[in-house]
Amino acid sequence: MGRRIDPATIAGWCLAAALVLFLVGPILTVIIYAFAEQWRYPNLLPTRWGFRFWNVMLGRADVAEAISISLAIAFTATTLSALICWPAAYAFARLRFPGRQPLLMAFLAAQAFPKFALFIAIAVVFLRFDLVGTFWGVVLVQLVNTLLFMIWIPTAAFRAIPPALEEAALDLGASRLRVFIEVTLPQAAPALAASYILAFVGTLFEVDASLLIGAPTIRPMPILMLSLSAQVVVQHAAVLCVILWVPAFALLLLSRRLMSARTIASGLGA
Amino acid sequence: MTIALGRTRARVRARWAETATGYALVALPLAVLCVLVLMPASVAVVETVIVTGPDGPRLSLDHYTAFFADPFARRNLIYSLIQTAASTATVLAIALAIAVYLRFGTGRAVRVVHALALFPLFVPAIIAAYALIRFLGPNGLFQMLLERVGIGGYASPYLTPLGPFIGFVWEGLPLPVLVLTAGLAQVSDHAIEAARDLGAGGVRIFREILLPQVTRSLLIACSLVFLGIFGSYTIPYMMGPAAPEMMGVFMQRTYDQLQRPQDAQVQAVVSFLVCALVSVAYVRLILKERR
Repeated sequence: MGRRIDPATIAGWCLAAALVLFLVGPILTVIIYAFAEQWRYPNLLPTRWGFRFWNVMLGRADVAEAISISLAIAFTATTLSALICWPAAYAFARLRFPGRQPLLMAFLAAQAFPKFALFIAIAVVFLRFDLVGTFWGVVLVQLVNTLLFMIWIPTAAFRAIPPALEEAALDLGASRLRVFIEVTLPQAAPALAASYILAFVGTLFEVDASLLIGAPTIRPMPILMLSLSAQVVVQHAAVLCVILWVPAFALLLLSRRLMSARTIASGLGA
Repeated sequence: MTIALGRTRARVRARWAETATGYALVALPLAVLCVLVLMPASVAVVETVIVTGPDGPRLSLDHYTAFFADPFARRNLIYSLIQTAASTATVLAIALAIAVYLRFGTGRAVRVVHALALFPLFVPAIIAAYALIRFLGPNGLFQMLLERVGIGGYASPYLTPLGPFIGFVWEGLPLPVLVLTAGLAQVSDHAIEAARDLGAGGVRIFREILLPQVTRSLLIACSLVFLGIFGSYTIPYMMGPAAPEMMGVFMQRTYDQLQRPQDAQVQAVVSFLVCALVSVAYVRLILKERR
Protein backbone atom coordinates (compact mmCIF):
# COMPACT_ATOMS: atom_id res chain seq x y z
CA MET A 1 0.00 0.00 0.00
CA GLY A 2 1.68 3.22 -1.15
CA ARG A 3 1.50 6.15 1.26
CA ARG A 4 -0.14 9.15 -0.29
CA ILE A 5 1.78 12.31 0.33
CA ASP A 6 -0.46 15.27 0.90
CA PRO A 7 0.65 18.33 -1.16
CA ALA A 8 -0.25 20.63 1.77
CA THR A 9 2.20 18.74 3.97
CA ILE A 10 4.94 19.12 1.38
CA ALA A 11 4.18 22.85 1.13
CA GLY A 12 4.36 23.08 4.93
CA TRP A 13 7.79 21.49 5.12
CA CYS A 14 9.03 23.69 2.26
CA LEU A 15 7.85 26.74 4.21
CA ALA A 16 9.60 25.42 7.31
CA ALA A 17 12.82 24.88 5.34
CA ALA A 18 12.69 28.41 3.92
CA LEU A 19 12.17 29.84 7.41
CA VAL A 20 15.08 27.81 8.79
CA LEU A 21 17.36 29.18 6.08
CA PHE A 22 16.19 32.80 6.43
CA LEU A 23 15.60 33.04 10.20
CA VAL A 24 17.96 30.51 11.77
CA GLY A 25 20.74 30.61 9.15
CA PRO A 26 22.12 34.02 10.19
CA ILE A 27 22.19 33.18 13.92
CA LEU A 28 23.84 29.86 13.19
CA THR A 29 26.51 31.62 11.12
CA VAL A 30 27.41 33.87 14.06
CA ILE A 31 27.55 30.95 16.48
CA ILE A 32 29.89 29.06 14.13
CA TYR A 33 32.03 32.20 13.71
CA ALA A 34 32.44 32.48 17.48
CA PHE A 35 34.21 29.10 17.52
CA ALA A 36 36.18 29.58 14.30
CA GLU A 37 39.84 30.48 14.52
CA GLN A 38 40.11 30.55 10.77
CA TRP A 39 37.38 30.42 8.13
CA ARG A 40 38.61 30.73 4.57
CA TYR A 41 36.33 31.32 1.60
CA PRO A 42 34.78 29.19 0.03
CA ASN A 43 34.62 26.58 2.81
CA LEU A 44 31.18 25.87 4.25
CA LEU A 45 32.66 25.35 7.70
CA PRO A 46 35.63 26.90 9.52
CA THR A 47 39.06 25.74 8.46
CA ARG A 48 40.23 25.78 12.09
CA TRP A 49 38.05 25.56 15.22
CA GLY A 50 38.96 26.81 18.68
CA PHE A 51 38.40 29.04 21.69
CA ARG A 52 41.19 31.55 21.04
CA PHE A 53 38.80 34.47 20.57
CA TRP A 54 36.85 33.55 23.69
CA ASN A 55 39.98 33.97 25.75
CA VAL A 56 40.63 37.31 24.07
CA MET A 57 37.12 38.66 24.61
CA LEU A 58 36.65 37.38 28.17
CA GLY A 59 39.95 38.98 29.14
CA ARG A 60 39.15 42.42 27.72
CA ALA A 61 38.56 45.18 30.25
CA ASP A 62 36.10 47.09 28.04
CA VAL A 63 33.89 44.00 27.69
CA ALA A 64 33.74 43.44 31.45
CA GLU A 65 33.03 47.12 32.01
CA ALA A 66 30.29 47.21 29.35
CA ILE A 67 28.62 44.15 30.84
CA SER A 68 28.61 45.60 34.35
CA ILE A 69 27.31 49.03 33.25
CA SER A 70 24.60 47.33 31.15
CA LEU A 71 23.44 45.17 34.01
CA ALA A 72 23.43 48.18 36.35
CA ILE A 73 21.34 50.28 33.92
CA ALA A 74 18.90 47.47 33.13
CA PHE A 75 18.46 46.51 36.78
CA THR A 76 17.97 50.11 37.96
CA ALA A 77 15.58 51.10 35.16
CA THR A 78 13.47 47.94 35.36
CA THR A 79 13.21 47.95 39.16
CA LEU A 80 12.31 51.63 39.21
CA SER A 81 9.74 50.94 36.52
CA ALA A 82 8.27 48.03 38.51
CA LEU A 83 8.02 50.16 41.65
CA ILE A 84 5.99 52.87 39.92
CA CYS A 85 4.10 50.76 37.34
CA TRP A 86 2.90 47.69 39.22
CA PRO A 87 0.86 49.62 41.81
CA ALA A 88 -0.59 51.65 38.92
CA ALA A 89 -1.48 48.43 37.10
CA TYR A 90 -3.32 47.23 40.22
CA ALA A 91 -5.24 50.52 40.32
CA PHE A 92 -6.14 50.24 36.62
CA ALA A 93 -7.41 46.70 37.15
CA ARG A 94 -9.18 46.91 40.49
CA LEU A 95 -10.04 50.47 41.54
CA ARG A 96 -12.81 52.57 40.05
CA PHE A 97 -12.00 56.20 39.32
CA PRO A 98 -13.07 58.61 36.60
CA GLY A 99 -10.91 58.54 33.46
CA ARG A 100 -9.45 55.13 34.21
CA GLN A 101 -9.72 53.70 30.70
CA PRO A 102 -8.44 56.80 28.81
CA LEU A 103 -5.47 57.04 31.16
CA LEU A 104 -4.61 53.37 30.56
CA MET A 105 -4.85 54.01 26.81
CA ALA A 106 -2.48 56.95 27.15
CA PHE A 107 0.36 54.49 27.78
CA LEU A 108 -0.27 52.88 24.40
CA ALA A 109 -0.10 56.30 22.77
CA ALA A 110 3.65 56.40 23.43
CA GLN A 111 3.84 53.65 20.79
CA ALA A 112 2.40 56.04 18.23
CA PHE A 113 5.66 57.97 17.92
CA PRO A 114 8.44 56.92 15.56
CA LYS A 115 10.86 55.90 18.33
CA PHE A 116 14.12 57.40 17.18
CA ALA A 117 12.54 60.80 16.51
CA LEU A 118 11.18 60.73 20.07
CA PHE A 119 14.65 59.88 21.44
CA ILE A 120 16.09 62.86 19.54
CA ALA A 121 13.48 65.12 21.14
CA ILE A 122 14.33 63.65 24.57
CA ALA A 123 18.07 64.02 23.96
CA VAL A 124 17.72 67.71 23.12
CA VAL A 125 15.83 68.32 26.38
CA PHE A 126 18.34 66.21 28.35
CA LEU A 127 21.22 68.27 26.92
CA ARG A 128 19.90 71.26 28.85
CA PHE A 129 19.67 69.39 32.13
CA ASP A 130 23.17 67.92 31.71
CA LEU A 131 21.70 64.43 31.64
CA VAL A 132 23.41 63.42 28.38
CA GLY A 133 26.35 61.13 29.02
CA THR A 134 25.20 60.25 32.54
CA PHE A 135 24.06 56.99 34.11
CA TRP A 136 20.75 58.49 35.27
CA GLY A 137 20.07 60.00 31.87
CA VAL A 138 20.21 56.54 30.29
CA VAL A 139 18.13 55.04 33.12
CA LEU A 140 15.43 57.69 32.62
CA VAL A 141 15.18 57.20 28.87
CA GLN A 142 15.06 53.42 29.33
CA LEU A 143 12.19 53.93 31.76
CA VAL A 144 10.15 55.22 28.80
CA ASN A 145 10.79 51.97 26.93
CA THR A 146 9.61 49.81 29.83
CA LEU A 147 6.39 51.71 30.68
CA LEU A 148 4.14 49.89 28.21
CA PHE A 149 5.07 46.33 29.20
CA MET A 150 5.13 47.14 32.89
CA ILE A 151 1.64 48.67 32.85
CA TRP A 152 -0.32 46.63 30.32
CA ILE A 153 0.78 43.08 31.06
CA PRO A 154 0.29 43.40 34.86
CA THR A 155 -3.06 45.18 34.34
CA ALA A 156 -4.29 42.27 32.21
CA ALA A 157 -2.99 39.84 34.84
CA PHE A 158 -4.71 41.59 37.77
CA ARG A 159 -7.93 41.77 35.75
CA ALA A 160 -7.80 38.05 35.04
CA ILE A 161 -7.95 37.18 38.76
CA PRO A 162 -11.60 36.48 39.69
CA PRO A 163 -12.73 39.17 42.18
CA ALA A 164 -14.79 36.48 43.95
CA LEU A 165 -11.58 35.04 45.39
CA GLU A 166 -10.61 38.33 46.99
CA GLU A 167 -14.16 38.99 48.19
CA ALA A 168 -14.36 35.59 49.84
CA ALA A 169 -11.17 36.29 51.77
CA LEU A 170 -12.49 39.73 52.77
CA ASP A 171 -15.73 38.15 54.02
CA LEU A 172 -13.70 35.82 56.18
CA GLY A 173 -12.35 38.88 57.91
CA ALA A 174 -8.93 39.27 56.29
CA SER A 175 -7.64 42.82 55.94
CA ARG A 176 -7.29 44.38 52.45
CA LEU A 177 -3.50 44.26 52.70
CA ARG A 178 -3.49 40.63 53.75
CA VAL A 179 -5.84 39.70 50.89
CA PHE A 180 -3.53 41.48 48.47
CA ILE A 181 -0.41 39.75 49.76
CA GLU A 182 -1.87 36.27 50.20
CA VAL A 183 -4.47 36.03 47.42
CA THR A 184 -3.87 38.60 44.69
CA LEU A 185 -0.09 38.71 44.54
CA PRO A 186 0.60 34.97 44.18
CA GLN A 187 -1.89 34.78 41.31
CA ALA A 188 -0.38 37.72 39.47
CA ALA A 189 3.22 36.74 40.19
CA PRO A 190 3.97 34.86 36.91
CA ALA A 191 2.78 37.75 34.76
CA LEU A 192 4.63 40.27 36.92
CA ALA A 193 7.80 38.22 36.56
CA ALA A 194 7.27 37.97 32.79
CA SER A 195 6.84 41.72 32.45
CA TYR A 196 10.00 42.27 34.51
CA ILE A 197 12.03 39.90 32.34
CA LEU A 198 10.72 41.40 29.08
CA ALA A 199 11.53 44.92 30.23
CA PHE A 200 14.92 43.86 31.61
CA VAL A 201 16.07 42.10 28.43
CA GLY A 202 14.63 44.89 26.29
CA THR A 203 16.65 47.45 28.25
CA LEU A 204 19.77 45.32 28.16
CA PHE A 205 19.80 45.27 24.35
CA GLU A 206 18.44 48.71 23.63
CA VAL A 207 20.75 50.54 21.22
CA ASP A 208 19.06 53.71 19.99
CA ALA A 209 18.36 55.54 23.24
CA SER A 210 21.60 54.40 24.90
CA LEU A 211 23.56 55.66 21.93
CA LEU A 212 21.95 59.10 21.93
CA ILE A 213 21.79 59.71 25.67
CA GLY A 214 24.78 57.66 26.85
CA ALA A 215 27.41 58.87 24.37
CA PRO A 216 30.25 59.31 24.81
CA THR A 217 30.84 58.33 28.46
CA ILE A 218 28.31 55.56 29.09
CA ARG A 219 29.04 52.56 26.86
CA PRO A 220 26.76 49.59 27.56
CA MET A 221 27.13 46.25 25.75
CA PRO A 222 25.02 46.95 22.64
CA ILE A 223 27.07 50.09 21.97
CA LEU A 224 30.30 48.12 22.28
CA MET A 225 28.74 45.53 19.98
CA LEU A 226 27.94 48.30 17.47
CA SER A 227 31.53 49.49 17.38
CA LEU A 228 32.97 45.95 17.24
CA SER A 229 30.68 44.99 14.36
CA ALA A 230 32.46 47.46 12.09
CA GLN A 231 35.87 45.87 12.74
CA VAL A 232 37.78 43.59 10.41
CA VAL A 233 38.13 40.70 12.85
CA VAL A 234 34.71 39.08 12.66
CA GLN A 235 35.18 36.79 15.64
CA HIS A 236 35.34 39.54 18.29
CA ALA A 237 31.78 40.67 17.61
CA ALA A 238 30.63 37.08 17.03
CA VAL A 239 31.88 35.95 20.45
CA LEU A 240 30.25 38.97 22.12
CA CYS A 241 27.00 38.15 20.27
CA VAL A 242 26.95 34.63 21.65
CA ILE A 243 27.86 35.80 25.17
CA LEU A 244 24.99 38.31 25.10
CA TRP A 245 22.40 36.34 23.25
CA VAL A 246 22.41 32.94 24.96
CA PRO A 247 21.32 34.25 28.40
CA ALA A 248 18.84 36.66 26.79
CA PHE A 249 17.33 33.84 24.75
CA ALA A 250 16.91 31.70 27.87
CA LEU A 251 15.29 34.56 29.81
CA LEU A 252 12.90 35.40 26.97
CA LEU A 253 11.89 31.75 26.60
CA LEU A 254 11.16 31.73 30.33
CA SER A 255 9.00 34.85 30.07
CA ARG A 256 7.13 33.25 27.17
CA ARG A 257 6.35 30.24 29.36
CA LEU A 258 4.99 32.58 32.02
CA MET A 259 2.39 34.14 29.76
CA SER A 260 0.38 33.47 26.63
CA ALA A 261 0.92 34.85 23.13
CA ARG A 262 -2.43 36.58 23.54
CA THR A 263 -1.06 38.56 26.50
CA ILE A 264 1.93 39.75 24.47
CA ALA A 265 -0.37 40.84 21.65
CA SER A 266 -2.72 42.59 24.07
CA GLY A 267 0.26 44.44 25.50
CA LEU A 268 0.42 46.31 22.18
CA GLY A 269 -3.30 46.97 21.96
CA ALA A 270 -3.75 44.41 19.19
CA MET B 1 -33.13 56.26 59.28
CA THR B 2 -29.98 57.60 60.90
CA ILE B 3 -28.27 54.27 60.42
CA ALA B 4 -29.15 54.23 56.70
CA LEU B 5 -27.86 57.78 56.31
CA GLY B 6 -24.66 56.81 58.09
CA ARG B 7 -24.21 53.89 55.73
CA THR B 8 -24.69 56.07 52.65
CA ARG B 9 -22.20 58.52 53.99
CA ALA B 10 -19.70 55.73 54.65
CA ARG B 11 -20.22 54.48 51.11
CA VAL B 12 -19.66 57.93 49.64
CA ARG B 13 -16.52 58.28 51.73
CA ALA B 14 -15.30 54.85 50.54
CA ARG B 15 -15.95 55.91 46.95
CA TRP B 16 -13.87 59.05 47.43
CA ALA B 17 -11.10 57.07 49.09
CA GLU B 18 -11.05 54.63 46.16
CA THR B 19 -10.84 57.46 43.61
CA ALA B 20 -8.08 59.19 45.55
CA THR B 21 -6.09 55.97 45.92
CA GLY B 22 -6.53 55.25 42.21
CA TYR B 23 -5.17 58.63 41.17
CA ALA B 24 -2.34 58.40 43.68
CA LEU B 25 -1.23 55.04 42.32
CA VAL B 26 -1.31 55.99 38.63
CA ALA B 27 0.19 59.46 39.17
CA LEU B 28 3.88 58.45 38.99
CA PRO B 29 3.91 56.53 35.70
CA LEU B 30 1.66 59.20 34.19
CA ALA B 31 4.15 61.84 35.30
CA VAL B 32 6.94 59.88 33.61
CA LEU B 33 4.85 59.66 30.44
CA CYS B 34 4.22 63.42 30.47
CA VAL B 35 7.75 64.53 31.34
CA LEU B 36 9.64 62.05 29.14
CA VAL B 37 7.32 61.66 26.13
CA LEU B 38 4.77 64.43 25.73
CA MET B 39 6.97 67.25 27.03
CA PRO B 40 10.03 66.59 24.81
CA ALA B 41 7.80 66.10 21.75
CA SER B 42 5.99 69.40 22.46
CA VAL B 43 9.26 71.19 23.16
CA ALA B 44 10.58 70.02 19.78
CA VAL B 45 7.51 71.36 17.99
CA VAL B 46 7.44 74.69 19.84
CA GLU B 47 11.15 75.40 19.58
CA THR B 48 11.37 74.71 15.88
CA VAL B 49 8.56 77.10 14.95
CA ILE B 50 10.09 79.99 16.91
CA VAL B 51 12.88 81.87 15.17
CA THR B 52 14.85 84.55 16.97
CA GLY B 53 15.53 87.45 14.63
CA PRO B 54 17.01 90.92 15.19
CA ASP B 55 13.66 92.13 16.56
CA GLY B 56 13.10 89.30 19.04
CA PRO B 57 11.54 85.85 18.71
CA ARG B 58 8.73 85.29 16.22
CA LEU B 59 6.63 82.47 14.87
CA SER B 60 8.02 81.11 11.61
CA LEU B 61 8.30 78.01 9.47
CA ASP B 62 11.81 78.94 8.29
CA HIS B 63 13.36 75.78 9.75
CA TYR B 64 10.91 73.64 7.85
CA THR B 65 11.25 75.46 4.53
CA ALA B 66 15.00 75.02 4.97
CA PHE B 67 14.53 71.29 5.52
CA PHE B 68 12.39 70.86 2.42
CA ALA B 69 14.64 73.11 0.34
CA ASP B 70 17.58 70.79 1.03
CA PRO B 71 17.60 68.12 -1.71
CA PHE B 72 19.67 65.80 0.50
CA ALA B 73 17.13 65.95 3.34
CA ARG B 74 14.23 65.57 0.92
CA ARG B 75 15.81 62.51 -0.64
CA ASN B 76 16.34 60.91 2.79
CA LEU B 77 12.72 61.52 3.73
CA ILE B 78 11.35 60.04 0.50
CA TYR B 79 13.72 57.09 0.72
CA SER B 80 12.61 56.44 4.33
CA LEU B 81 8.96 56.44 3.32
CA ILE B 82 9.47 54.09 0.37
CA GLN B 83 11.72 51.75 2.36
CA THR B 84 9.22 51.68 5.26
CA ALA B 85 6.15 51.15 3.06
CA ALA B 86 7.79 48.40 0.99
CA SER B 87 9.11 46.57 4.06
CA THR B 88 5.79 46.85 5.92
CA ALA B 89 3.81 45.52 2.95
CA THR B 90 6.20 42.59 2.53
CA VAL B 91 6.20 41.71 6.25
CA LEU B 92 2.39 41.71 6.35
CA ALA B 93 2.01 39.67 3.17
CA ILE B 94 4.40 36.98 4.46
CA ALA B 95 2.84 37.04 7.93
CA LEU B 96 -0.66 36.67 6.48
CA ALA B 97 0.41 33.71 4.34
CA ILE B 98 2.02 32.04 7.36
CA ALA B 99 -1.00 32.75 9.58
CA VAL B 100 -3.40 31.24 7.02
CA TYR B 101 -1.16 28.19 6.73
CA LEU B 102 -1.06 27.87 10.54
CA ARG B 103 -4.87 28.03 10.67
CA PHE B 104 -5.55 25.36 8.06
CA GLY B 105 -2.40 23.24 7.92
CA THR B 106 -2.19 19.91 9.70
CA GLY B 107 0.56 17.74 11.09
CA ARG B 108 3.92 18.38 12.68
CA ALA B 109 4.99 20.99 10.11
CA VAL B 110 2.45 23.45 11.56
CA ARG B 111 4.10 23.45 14.98
CA VAL B 112 7.55 23.77 13.46
CA VAL B 113 6.51 26.73 11.27
CA HIS B 114 4.80 28.42 14.24
CA ALA B 115 7.89 28.15 16.42
CA LEU B 116 10.16 29.34 13.59
CA ALA B 117 8.00 32.36 12.72
CA LEU B 118 8.16 33.56 16.34
CA PHE B 119 11.92 32.98 16.62
CA PRO B 120 12.97 36.61 15.86
CA LEU B 121 10.99 37.68 18.94
CA PHE B 122 13.83 36.16 20.94
CA VAL B 123 16.64 37.87 19.07
CA PRO B 124 17.41 41.54 19.82
CA ALA B 125 17.73 43.79 16.75
CA ILE B 126 21.45 44.47 17.21
CA ILE B 127 22.26 40.76 17.16
CA ALA B 128 19.89 40.09 14.26
CA ALA B 129 21.47 42.85 12.17
CA TYR B 130 24.99 41.59 12.84
CA ALA B 131 24.00 37.98 12.12
CA LEU B 132 22.34 38.95 8.84
CA ILE B 133 25.47 40.82 7.76
CA ARG B 134 27.62 37.75 8.42
CA PHE B 135 25.12 35.46 6.69
CA LEU B 136 24.21 37.56 3.64
CA GLY B 137 27.33 39.71 3.32
CA PRO B 138 29.94 39.28 0.59
CA ASN B 139 31.63 35.86 0.93
CA GLY B 140 29.11 35.03 3.68
CA LEU B 141 27.64 31.62 4.38
CA PHE B 142 24.67 32.21 2.06
CA GLN B 143 26.92 32.97 -0.91
CA MET B 144 29.01 29.88 -0.18
CA LEU B 145 25.84 27.75 0.00
CA LEU B 146 24.68 29.12 -3.34
CA GLU B 147 28.03 28.45 -4.95
CA ARG B 148 27.97 24.90 -3.63
CA VAL B 149 24.78 24.24 -5.57
CA GLY B 150 26.25 25.95 -8.64
CA ILE B 151 24.65 29.39 -8.46
CA GLY B 152 27.25 32.09 -9.06
CA GLY B 153 27.14 35.87 -9.44
CA TYR B 154 25.70 36.54 -5.99
CA ALA B 155 25.32 40.26 -5.29
CA SER B 156 25.16 40.90 -1.54
CA PRO B 157 22.33 43.13 -0.31
CA TYR B 158 24.68 44.47 2.41
CA LEU B 159 25.01 48.29 2.22
CA THR B 160 22.27 48.53 -0.43
CA PRO B 161 18.62 49.48 0.24
CA LEU B 162 17.85 45.75 0.07
CA GLY B 163 19.94 45.21 3.26
CA PRO B 164 17.68 47.08 5.69
CA PHE B 165 14.66 45.73 3.80
CA ILE B 166 15.71 42.16 4.65
CA GLY B 167 16.54 43.21 8.22
CA PHE B 168 13.10 44.78 8.72
CA VAL B 169 11.31 41.72 7.33
CA TRP B 170 13.39 39.48 9.62
CA GLU B 171 12.82 41.47 12.78
CA GLY B 172 9.23 42.47 11.97
CA LEU B 173 7.77 39.06 11.18
CA PRO B 174 6.70 37.70 14.62
CA LEU B 175 4.37 40.50 15.74
CA PRO B 176 1.91 40.32 12.79
CA VAL B 177 2.10 36.50 12.82
CA LEU B 178 1.16 36.55 16.51
CA VAL B 179 -1.69 39.00 16.04
CA LEU B 180 -3.09 37.39 12.86
CA THR B 181 -2.89 33.84 14.22
CA ALA B 182 -4.92 34.94 17.24
CA GLY B 183 -7.47 36.61 14.94
CA LEU B 184 -7.82 33.66 12.56
CA ALA B 185 -8.25 31.24 15.45
CA GLN B 186 -11.60 32.93 16.10
CA VAL B 187 -13.00 31.91 12.70
CA SER B 188 -15.04 28.74 13.27
CA ASP B 189 -14.59 25.67 11.10
CA HIS B 190 -18.38 25.56 10.68
CA ALA B 191 -18.47 28.95 8.97
CA ILE B 192 -15.81 27.85 6.50
CA GLU B 193 -17.45 24.48 5.82
CA ALA B 194 -20.82 26.15 5.32
CA ALA B 195 -19.29 28.56 2.80
CA ARG B 196 -17.59 25.67 1.02
CA ASP B 197 -20.87 23.74 0.86
CA LEU B 198 -22.44 26.76 -0.79
CA GLY B 199 -19.73 26.56 -3.43
CA ALA B 200 -17.39 29.33 -2.32
CA GLY B 201 -13.80 28.95 -3.55
CA GLY B 202 -10.61 29.47 -1.55
CA VAL B 203 -10.15 33.08 -2.63
CA ARG B 204 -13.72 33.98 -1.79
CA ILE B 205 -13.53 32.33 1.64
CA PHE B 206 -10.34 34.25 2.32
CA ARG B 207 -11.79 37.59 1.20
CA GLU B 208 -15.24 37.32 2.70
CA ILE B 209 -14.83 35.22 5.83
CA LEU B 210 -11.21 35.30 6.99
CA LEU B 211 -10.18 38.84 6.09
CA PRO B 212 -13.07 40.65 7.86
CA GLN B 213 -12.24 38.73 11.07
CA VAL B 214 -8.68 40.01 11.15
CA THR B 215 -9.08 43.49 9.64
CA ARG B 216 -8.63 45.30 12.95
CA SER B 217 -5.65 43.15 14.02
CA LEU B 218 -4.14 43.52 10.57
CA LEU B 219 -4.42 47.32 10.65
CA ILE B 220 -2.95 47.54 14.16
CA ALA B 221 -0.07 45.26 13.17
CA CYS B 222 0.37 47.35 10.02
CA SER B 223 0.66 50.64 11.91
CA LEU B 224 2.96 49.17 14.58
CA VAL B 225 5.30 47.68 11.97
CA PHE B 226 5.29 50.91 9.97
CA LEU B 227 6.09 53.10 12.99
CA GLY B 228 8.67 50.60 14.20
CA ILE B 229 10.53 50.64 10.89
CA PHE B 230 10.30 54.39 10.31
CA GLY B 231 11.55 55.05 13.84
CA SER B 232 14.41 52.54 13.68
CA TYR B 233 18.12 53.19 13.77
CA THR B 234 20.14 50.03 14.35
CA ILE B 235 19.13 48.03 11.28
CA PRO B 236 19.43 50.82 8.67
CA TYR B 237 22.65 52.09 10.28
CA MET B 238 24.31 48.69 10.20
CA MET B 239 22.94 47.30 6.96
CA GLY B 240 21.98 50.25 4.78
CA PRO B 241 23.79 52.43 2.24
CA ALA B 242 25.61 55.62 3.28
CA ALA B 243 23.30 57.59 1.01
CA PRO B 244 20.38 57.94 0.94
CA GLU B 245 19.92 57.48 4.67
CA MET B 246 16.81 56.59 6.60
CA MET B 247 15.56 59.33 8.92
CA GLY B 248 16.86 57.62 12.08
CA VAL B 249 20.42 57.48 10.76
CA PHE B 250 20.12 61.01 9.33
CA MET B 251 18.92 62.43 12.67
CA GLN B 252 21.63 60.66 14.65
CA ARG B 253 24.34 62.02 12.35
CA THR B 254 22.90 65.54 12.51
CA TYR B 255 22.65 65.42 16.30
CA ASP B 256 25.92 63.70 17.13
CA GLN B 257 28.50 64.10 14.38
CA LEU B 258 27.38 67.47 13.05
CA GLN B 259 26.55 68.68 16.59
CA ARG B 260 23.38 70.40 15.40
CA PRO B 261 20.66 69.37 17.85
CA GLN B 262 18.21 71.97 16.58
CA ASP B 263 18.37 70.63 13.00
CA ALA B 264 17.90 67.13 14.41
CA GLN B 265 14.84 68.45 16.25
CA VAL B 266 13.39 69.73 12.96
CA GLN B 267 14.02 66.31 11.38
CA ALA B 268 12.32 64.65 14.36
CA VAL B 269 9.22 66.83 14.04
CA VAL B 270 9.10 66.17 10.28
CA SER B 271 9.19 62.44 11.15
CA PHE B 272 6.34 62.92 13.65
CA LEU B 273 4.27 64.72 11.01
CA VAL B 274 4.95 62.20 8.26
CA CYS B 275 3.99 59.38 10.62
CA ALA B 276 1.02 61.31 12.06
CA LEU B 277 -1.44 59.68 9.66
CA VAL B 278 -0.35 56.22 10.79
CA SER B 279 -0.12 57.31 14.44
CA VAL B 280 -3.67 58.67 14.42
CA ALA B 281 -4.93 55.53 12.69
CA TYR B 282 -3.25 53.41 15.40
CA VAL B 283 -4.69 55.44 18.27
CA ARG B 284 -8.18 55.36 16.72
CA LEU B 285 -7.97 51.60 16.22
CA ILE B 286 -7.00 50.91 19.82
CA LEU B 287 -9.71 53.24 21.07
CA LYS B 288 -12.34 51.37 19.07
CA GLU B 289 -14.26 48.91 21.20
CA ARG B 290 -12.73 45.45 21.08
CA ARG B 291 -14.97 42.78 19.67
